Amino acid sequence: MVDSRGDWPAQVDEAWEVSPFAVELSALAEDELDGLSGYLAAGPRLPFRYLSVHGPSKKRAMSEAELVEKLVGLAPLVDAIVMHPDTITDPVPYRRLGRKLLVENMDSRKLDGRTVDELRSWFGELPEAGFCFDLAHAWSIDEGMSVGWDLLDAFRGRLRHLHVSSLSDELHHIPLTEEHEELFAPLLERCRDVPWILEAPLRDL
Amino acid sequence: MVAALERLSEASGREFPNLLAARERTQLGLDRRRQSLAGLEVDADVAIVLMGSWGRAEVTSESDDDFMVLVRGADRPAVRPSVEEVSKVLDKSPGTQGTFGQLVASTPLIERIGLEEDLNSNHTRRMLLLLESVPAAGEAVHEAVRSAVIDRYLDASIKDYRPPRFLLNDLIRYWRTMCVDFAGKEHEGPEKWGIRNAKLRTSRKILFAGGLLPVFECAKHQREAMPEALKAQMRLPPTDRIAQVFIDHAAADSGGRALGAYDDFVGLLDDSAFRMELSEVTRATAGISEAFQEAARLGKELERGLLALLFETNDLSKLAREYVVF
Repeated sequence: MVDSRGDWPAQVDEAWEVSPFAVELSALAEDELDGLSGYLAAGPRLPFRYLSVHGPSKKRAMSEAELVEKLVGLAPLVDAIVMHPDTITDPVPYRRLGRKLLVENMDSRKLDGRTVDELRSWFGELPEAGFCFDLAHAWSIDEGMSVGWDLLDAFRGRLRHLHVSSLSDELHHIPLTEEHEELFAPLLERCRDVPWILEAPLRDL
Repeated sequence: MVAALERLSEASGREFPNLLAARERTQLGLDRRRQSLAGLEVDADVAIVLMGSWGRAEVTSESDDDFMVLVRGADRPAVRPSVEEVSKVLDKSPGTQGTFGQLVASTPLIERIGLEEDLNSNHTRRMLLLLESVPAAGEAVHEAVRSAVIDRYLDASIKDYRPPRFLLNDLIRYWRTMCVDFAGKEHEGPEKWGIRNAKLRTSRKILFAGGLLPVFECAKHQREAMPEALKAQMRLPPTDRIAQVFIDHAAADSGGRALGAYDDFVGLLDDSAFRMELSEVTRATAGISEAFQEAARLGKELERGLLALLFETNDLSKLAREYVVF
């Protein structure tokens, strides 16, 4: 959530209000990583059964080796670390994250990691990595969701959690609309066993 | 006929290489043990029964030969073969002080259910016989006793299109007994905490679900058909019973992920370094053990799949709500 960037207790409280089951704490900028590591290393007493971290996806400046080293330090404290494939230059160092690493499918603005063929090469390089399925990103490529079905068919065995939201015209995450809830429902039906991370607040009912 | 696990693999796109390799290893090992035991005199009312990973068809390079000498009927003297004779033949005999490596008569297993004399050991042996056992000798006796156990549970109290409560309650009691036993043993000392904890999260959960789900599936039947349906299920490895229920309830993707996690665990359990690390982990060191963290993660994935099957599918969620708590 944009308003609470870097404020980990606030992100936790916000997520807890929705559900004590799963949370994803986002360190989308590299300079947020140390703060998040410090917060988690202090052993906060959290209610969540599943704790994920979204790794940096913006303003990358640090070397790949330095970033991976920080993520490896975080790995024992969390269940999963989500990375955008378009932010990874060399996948090899990320193998150290093993099964904790999740690769997310990208939206239509990106040039890689959007489709089955594009992601297959990433999983070829990162054979232990899981799949984080962002339904709205798939919708941005194909509003009929056939790309979404293809992604789920191809990577369902690797699926570890979902990102659920709708997208604005500028492709920002916004609350799931009724129309998208209906459109996504058959895919969600196949994913009842994995955590669903809401990437925007619930819409007002 | 193609096993349910392989059909789930086809339906979910998830391969189960470790479970299928373990099945082959189990069959080869079983054939070898049957040949070795063929040299012993076996009375007509006796079976030599292997349990644990043998009964789940999940033998690894580290598996023990957990066995019992099962006598059909009441305890009697001069049973052939003796426990000691069987122990000498088997590769990794469990010793004769615990649950395994004992002479067990079927009468107390069957007739003491729920009574004062139904001690943890009696209850445990009955459940293992029912849920994860395979005969190494005396196949007909093994089948007859397991059948008699099921018939005892599926008595006059069972009703059409409802899970048999007597058996269901004893199954749940067994699962809770395993959990309480784990906690009780921790009070005695930290030895083997890690491997016990990891198995509670994985293979013990498979054992429980492998009984619970077929019992729920009895609700598809009129009561006359339930005993045979249940007996047919109990002849299969637990992972086949579970895989079939995922398929039948249109939850193949979840089933692929759940049993895929379990497949990964079975593969890791065959790795001596992983197993050694797990054996040495205590509650105090669990947070820094990569082996334990991975076992816990896989256990969570397995559990999430089973919970989704039980509480997120249409028919089973109604049964789980009505029968699991009260």
